[in-house]
Amino acid sequence: MALRVFSLNLVKTNRNLLQNGFKSPAPPTGHMAPAASFATEVTVQAAPAAVQKQKVSKAMRAYLKRANEHDEFMKTQHLEFQIGKRHLANMMGADAETFTQEDVDEAISYLFPSGLYDPKARPAMKSPDVVFPARKAAEFDETGRPFHSLFYTGKPNFFQLLHDIVEETNKLADLEERMLRRGNKPDENQKLEIDGFHLLPKDQLELLLVESIADIEYSNFCNSMDRLIASPYAYKSKTFIERFLKPLMDQSNQLEVPKPKIDGEGRQYITTYECLRKTARADVTVRLPGTGKISINGKNISYFEDENCREQLLFPLQFSELLGKVDVEANVEGGGPSGQAGAIRWGIAMSLRSFVDQEMIESMRLAGLLTRDYRRRERKKFGQEGARRKYTWKKR
Amino acid sequence: MLRKSLGNLPRVGQLCGLPRRLQSTQPEQKEPEDIAVIEQRILKHPDYFQVHNLFTVRDLFNARVHYGHKEGSLDDRMRPYLFGSRLGHLIFDLDKTASHLRDALNFAAHIAFRDGIILFFNRNALNAHLVEQKAQEAGEFSHTRFWRGGIFTNANVQFDAVTRLPDLCIFLNTQNNVMAQHTAVRDAAKMAIPTIGIVDTNCNPNLITYPVPGNDDSPAAVELYCDLFKEAILRGKRERRQLLGLPPLDETLPRRSRKPKK
Repeated sequence: MALRVFSLNLVKTNRNLLQNGFKSPAPPTGHMAPAASFATEVTVQAAPAAVQKQKVSKAMRAYLKRANEHDEFMKTQHLEFQIGKRHLANMMGADAETFTQEDVDEAISYLFPSGLYDPKARPAMKSPDVVFPARKAAEFDETGRPFHSLFYTGKPNFFQLLHDIVEETNKLADLEERMLRRGNKPDENQKLEIDGFHLLPKDQLELLLVESIADIEYSNFCNSMDRLIASPYAYKSKTFIERFLKPLMDQSNQLEVPKPKIDGEGRQYITTYECLRKTARADVTVRLPGTGKISINGKNISYFEDENCREQLLFPLQFSELLGKVDVEANVEGGGPSGQAGAIRWGIAMSLRSFVDQEMIESMRLAGLLTRDYRRRERKKFGQEGARRKYTWKKR
Repeated sequence: MLRKSLGNLPRVGQLCGLPRRLQSTQPEQKEPEDIAVIEQRILKHPDYFQVHNLFTVRDLFNARVHYGHKEGSLDDRMRPYLFGSRLGHLIFDLDKTASHLRDALNFAAHIAFRDGIILFFNRNALNAHLVEQKAQEAGEFSHTRFWRGGIFTNANVQFDAVTRLPDLCIFLNTQNNVMAQHTAVRDAAKMAIPTIGIVDTNCNPNLITYPVPGNDDSPAAVELYCDLFKEAILRGKRERRQLLGLPPLDETLPRRSRKPKK
């Protein structure tokens, strides 16, 4: 059984090899029956004046051969997978008929525990449909005639896209011309809003087109799209343009903001644990509504003697205009005053996210309040007085 | 003028269809022939697809086909097709152009009739969109981009599979730029693929099977060529479908970008 599982794994790692094997065009061997799926069109009209002998091109024969080989291979893989699954079910004492993929994964991790770090490296048994990626279908018919008009460019989908962009641009230029003659102006209200959007990045465009494109081709795409978008009537091709726009990700949107809890007095509060800065560590609780009370390890803001540290502490409150409206409690340990002040500052800023709107969160992020400061003390170097400072040295 | 002559097409089509309809009144006596036999027989006809009525010399003149390049850029091999020069610009002899163009159209129609693959080329960015569009409308293929070497000569590697190459290449200009010839002209010659090429006064017609002397830059001229070739191809295709008793072409035409299934 173990062998079977591992052999599947082996097959998985060797799949590139296997597929390269398929790609190599085998010499045409004798007669090959055309598959049923390539049936020709039915002739409806009566008594044609001529008949055509069915010819299957060399290209199609080669493709059919490869497709057949692949089908055969997949069939045996499916069979082996089913047998393996049954064995596993028997071992686990479960019903083989209702044994799902989840059960398989569970059984494998139980029977073949693995300490390998990368989950992909651990033993697995999956359906061959998942293990072997799908292949492109034939791009030509049984006479070898390609389906796509731009097939011979090698990247038909990409060049079709460029063609379509020009088509749209020409349409808009015509429209602009006509409107100009009539003395009409483009509708300002409908103007295409592309702030907060950008063109699809290259890798995503490649995924969309199922083709890999060169950098220069991507820049051609960007240029022609920019030209289309720059048209005053671009809103007329909104649906087309929007297919290739992607919203700029709002960074602070991605982080989930915790919901405030309610304490015994009915006030909302948020506690942020593990606020770190240098070697200091703090837990910060912010309560709303409050009177601006600040307590740090039981003391008020005079816990910090340095004015700079006090400013640090108050900055997020002042920035979000909540100074005097919330209470802050902090427990802090380790580090020196500036590290502790920095840790509390970060904790306050993170907690305040729950009490302000999305816009404020974004500007807090841009102000750097929500960013962890990873700088640590730099070590002293030998032969030097400190981390950077050198000993006094006078040549003469 | 062109529109007028294109407008005549249905009538010509009817004329062509006439003898066949006579045949079909007595289908019981005649067994359907093999299309290969018909293909051979049609070849003997000097102008089976009636391409001579697709255009007139005046159409060519109106589309500015007679404009050549400046005298200094003349390729000596183009000298026989010239009418003269005016204000330092060379002028084509449109009578010669017309006869060459008719040969080319006739050939294209025959290739289309035999279910050949026809590939349009054009390296002029100004006309690229037009050429792609017309090729698509004719149900044929186009390549108006940078030519990666080996598309013909190393096709099985380039396309990752055995690939059928085109049966006819139509070059709407044969130059990559003013300096260099399109590599596909050479590659097509290497692979014994027949070519039709619009050759301007600065081009080399030697490797082109059916050279057509004429202006290859003006959009008006290129549009005329595209329309003519498209119509000739469609005539060939219609004829074939009619003979085989298939439904008319226009219903099956939209064979646009079928995306490859993943």
